[in-house]
Amino acid sequence: MVQLHSAYTLFLSLLVEAFPFLLIGVLLSSSLLVLIDEGKLIRFLPKNPIIGALVGSCAGFLFPVCECGNVPVARRLLMQGLPTSMAIAFLLAAPTFNPIVIWSTWVAFRGQPEIVIYRIVFSLAIAMIISLIFSRQSDPRPLLQPLLAKRLSLLPVKACPPPYSKKGVSKTGHSTTGYNPTENYPLLQSGTFLLNKTGNPLRLDGNTAAMAVLSPQGVRQRTSRFVLFVENVVQELRELGGMLIIGSAIAASIQIFVPREWILNLGQGTFSSILAMMLLACLVSICSTVDSFFALSFAATFTTSSLLAFLVLGPMIDLKSVGLLLSIFKPRIILYLFFLAAQLTFLAALCHSYFL
Amino acid sequence: MRNLIRLGLRRLGLIRPRLIPMNFSLFWSARFWRSLQPALDGSALLAWGALLWKYWLSGQLQLLIHPNYFGLVAITGTLLLLLGGLRWGLWLKSLRKLKTSLPPAESVQHLTLFPIGWASSLLLIVALISFWVPPTVLSAQVALQRGVSETLPLTQLSPQAFRGNIKPENRTLIDWIRTLNAYPEPDAYTGQKGKITGFVVHLPHLPPNYLLLSRFVLTCCAVDAYPVGIPIKLTGDRSAYPPDTWLSVEGEMLTESLPFDSQTLKAIPTQKRQLVLVAQSIQRVPTPTDPYSY
Repeated sequence: MVQLHSAYTLFLSLLVEAFPFLLIGVLLSSSLLVLIDEGKLIRFLPKNPIIGALVGSCAGFLFPVCECGNVPVARRLLMQGLPTSMAIAFLLAAPTFNPIVIWSTWVAFRGQPEIVIYRIVFSLAIAMIISLIFSRQSDPRPLLQPLLAKRLSLLPVKACPPPYSKKGVSKTGHSTTGYNPTENYPLLQSGTFLLNKTGNPLRLDGNTAAMAVLSPQGVRQRTSRFVLFVENVVQELRELGGMLIIGSAIAASIQIFVPREWILNLGQGTFSSILAMMLLACLVSICSTVDSFFALSFAATFTTSSLLAFLVLGPMIDLKSVGLLLSIFKPRIILYLFFLAAQLTFLAALCHSYFL
Repeated sequence: MRNLIRLGLRRLGLIRPRLIPMNFSLFWSARFWRSLQPALDGSALLAWGALLWKYWLSGQLQLLIHPNYFGLVAITGTLLLLLGGLRWGLWLKSLRKLKTSLPPAESVQHLTLFPIGWASSLLLIVALISFWVPPTVLSAQVALQRGVSETLPLTQLSPQAFRGNIKPENRTLIDWIRTLNAYPEPDAYTGQKGKITGFVVHLPHLPPNYLLLSRFVLTCCAVDAYPVGIPIKLTGDRSAYPPDTWLSVEGEMLTESLPFDSQTLKAIPTQKRQLVLVAQSIQRVPTPTDPYSY
């Protein structure tokens, strides 16, 4: 009973510490969803693949979203002509390399600032390497989910090869002329989608979402944006909060109920600890804004390298994001991404444990 | 009439055309859940906002997180209350509209992992339970479980808080640990007076007339609280002082060889010379409201 009460206290402590950061992340990502026009941003993208990968990775500072928020953003950006490799760099690095996540990692690991630094460095490096690998493929269509690819090939001027051409990038506004396939296939439009009961998709951005939220009569632009903002905040908070509760419960129970010798055996071996934490990273879909607090509960028993492996791999791939990624890429590509990320993370963690 | 209803439902996107006629109880239950969702969301947010405020006002936050983040929690609580209120307000507004016109197309549903209402229910339930069950002070058992820490953040974290020239008898337990970290030779402190407060931990690898007087140090939240402690030499058996009892012990410092590492609280195969407080007077004290050190 005492043990249960301790576990419950730890669980609460994780929740109370993580909730502010979750809220900040959600508020920021929701306001960006309402405020930023991505089409304009894409015009300023560099053409060199290496710089492109770097810019894609650093875009997290513009879109401080965790791994659940970044898939819709990446999808929107892809539809507006962002090269696939940059989208991949963004997908992999943005959940780690953004101010809120860096802040929360710093709060959690104030005692070990090197964890914060290595987390950023490793995530950036891995995102850039994978992005460069994918930048060899200039035609994005074979990588993408068929519906998305179809949309790209229907708009050859807009987004298709060569992806770095000025022409392709500059004409990124909303399609105003010519054949517009999105009228026939609403899912081919960019954005976040809501499915209503009949399975008809509704788009969750701009006016469409406002229309979905408010009744069609008498929609006022400003209120609708505000309502959209509130709806989105509540929705993300609910989903991520649910995840956070499950994740905190897991972390607290492992800390209290699993025998210490057992954890120490696993957590003090160089290889076993890294592998165990990587497995945990894939299984526990806790949001990257707060996953450092989750990792913190293992700080006493697991090696620093394995914590790093968790912090680097967790935001890149977990069970929850696979579902979301399927709306962008073909399953095969997601597998490639996953194995590349896992291998590179493992290597990076090993390097850390042996050389740093 | 029936056709009219079905037409209405189709417009709402609630049934597919050309399907078997709807099972009405199912329809009502699904619709029931969906219509309840905003209220559920709003309640969950309100409950969490209120809970954070309650922890803040009652001082229970001290049992959970480092004081640096109290302000952050209070702001978060306020924002959550606001959001919850907004969500309720919007919902009530939409209900009022419902009477006069078609309901807004709120039959939308996000593509997510959780079924409708699941995540908010979980949030709401956890918040409600937390109102009834207060958090507790971490126990001696947790201290034993934590035992090992790979790094000792204490020395890196609060060097500015280190004051070397406090009188020995005024040093708290944490001050002693910091002093020992700065200059670990136990002989330097032998003969000094000591008066420290902490909770009792029974280390199985110490002889029965020793107990460990311990405190948790927090850097972020209770999850990373790690125990520090100084062994106390008793005249009798330690069973008079069960684990988790809070004691204030006065006595004299002495160097002894004990088979454990005072920094990690772990048993070691060899004897190690370390500082021990020989108890002259022992007083039971109530659990302090701020049981953790920072």
